[in-house]
Amino acid sequence: MSEQAHAAHGDDHGHHGSPFIQHHYDDAQHQFDSGKLGIWLFLAQEVLFFSALFVAYVLYRHHHPEIYAYAHKYLDVKMGAINTAVLIFSSLTAAWAVRAAQLRQKKLLVACLAVTIMCACGFLVVKYFEYTHKVHEKILFGRYFDPCVSSGGTPLITKGNECPGSKSSVNWSKTTGVPESGCFGDVALDLDASEPYVQADCKVYEVSGTEVPKDGKLAFVEKARKEIKGRCFDPVFGPGGGVGHPADKGPRPLDYPCWKTNANPLVCKGGWYFTWHCTGGTCEKPFGAEGPFATESACSDQRRGKTGVLSAQGTSVVSECTTSGASGVLVEYGDHHIRKGDVRIVADCKAPTAAVAVVDPLADREQQLQLGQKATTTHHGLTHAEEKAQLYAGPPPPHTNMFFTIYFAMTGLHGIHVLVGVFVFIWLLIRATKGHFTPDYFGPVDFAALYWHIVDLIWIFLFPLLYLIH
Amino acid sequence: MATAHHDDAHDDHHGIAHTASVKVLLGTGGALMMLTLVTVLATKVDFGTNINLAVAMFIAVIKATLVVLFFMHLKYDKIFHTVIFLSAILAASLFVGFTLMDSGQYQNSNIWDVDHPPSAPSGPRPTAG
Repeated sequence: MSEQAHAAHGDDHGHHGSPFIQHHYDDAQHQFDSGKLGIWLFLAQEVLFFSALFVAYVLYRHHHPEIYAYAHKYLDVKMGAINTAVLIFSSLTAAWAVRAAQLRQKKLLVACLAVTIMCACGFLVVKYFEYTHKVHEKILFGRYFDPCVSSGGTPLITKGNECPGSKSSVNWSKTTGVPESGCFGDVALDLDASEPYVQADCKVYEVSGTEVPKDGKLAFVEKARKEIKGRCFDPVFGPGGGVGHPADKGPRPLDYPCWKTNANPLVCKGGWYFTWHCTGGTCEKPFGAEGPFATESACSDQRRGKTGVLSAQGTSVVSECTTSGASGVLVEYGDHHIRKGDVRIVADCKAPTAAVAVVDPLADREQQLQLGQKATTTHHGLTHAEEKAQLYAGPPPPHTNMFFTIYFAMTGLHGIHVLVGVFVFIWLLIRATKGHFTPDYFGPVDFAALYWHIVDLIWIFLFPLLYLIH
Repeated sequence: MATAHHDDAHDDHHGIAHTASVKVLLGTGGALMMLTLVTVLATKVDFGTNINLAVAMFIAVIKATLVVLFFMHLKYDKIFHTVIFLSAILAASLFVGFTLMDSGQYQNSNIWDVDHPPSAPSGPRPTAG
């Protein structure tokens, strides 16, 4: 390459004939210097442009370091580091492209430009994956920040119970707090939709037992229970469906539990319906001959007609049906009939254990030890790492959305610059293949490379500031 | 410009502008990659938040300087381009610096912060208990 360079070097002197030298310049040197001054002024403007966002970053971090310490955990250092390396490599190829243009190495120039474009696209692809993940998990800016997981990965239930595909996807009714659809897993129940992050941990059990006549009613006596995980609702029959379905020959797969709840005693779904009539702690058995009905309204009509009969037939009570919000949600399994009422699903929910900070102005006051009183101290304080793990497992501190407002503004503006760079380099690639660039006319390559280096430069700061917060 | 023509390192002015040698290009690229690795590893060591930040920023400034000097040819370029660039950096630092100096001034009156509640009864007080 160096010999080639020397040869090109020797050849160029005396050639000043690039057709791209404009008439209003004295010569190639004059045109190049003017362009170079222009691009440097533009780059200075770019620095000022981005500095406004850096001001926002610094100011907010100064006031709320805890938000940055918490929120950066949502960002994947690996992704950021890969993108940093990709941009640095593309900067190298961009700088090399300038050299190739200066030395009339056309093939090398085309190759360098092509690699730069590929790297830029690679950067954008990685960004795309990062952004879509954040959209999916609702780790977004402003009021759209309502994350499905904590920064430590603990599942959180959003205010609207609308996290798709997260670890637990049982949808708990917003109004009644009872489960309606979704899949079992480690689930949390949003106890108070108006109060974010007040969540109960729920464990769901399959309870087997027998129905024993008691006081003219059938009482459910529990025999055994085992925890169930990873099961989903019947997608066809939906809540409350399935019982007495003609296709329901033989035991239905255990993966399709159906719910019966106090809150929703009358269910029509998928053309089928059966009726649970619940009053207080008791629920009445559905009629065997109910359904199917083609439409929702036909179902409703039938339901209305049956209601009167039902209340008259007060004897057909099968089981207890207690629903008490957070303390336990009793639901019934879909193959109730087949298994003769011996299997139910019970969700036991524990109230949130995370300590809620109590503002007690007297808490820190010194207390005098009385005679005979023992002073107690805790066995061991948490280590730094344990404290951090605990912090990241919990819900985000207030105003964490501001971090992501700044994150999306900075990386978004930077991403737009990368996108613009892609188009500029494609334009250069086309011109390079046509052989436009010569040792006396390579300004466009040089100026685009300078722009590209500034884009790299901004990312060199964004990477540690956003991804590497300690 | 003419004196550099026989430089064997090719770190010379070729025609109308300076041409970066392959050695300089690869050296700069390699150094930037190394420093990226160093800055990622440095985060894993706990020096305390402020020192970790200082280390990360120090490495970022070194990387930025390498990019500007060698990839952007500023080392071999006209001094006026350096002046333009540094003016922009200076202006940006003034933005950040002055905003920071000013921001603390209103802490007690404007910005609600549970750790620093207003000292005067000018805002809502935290409810006890």
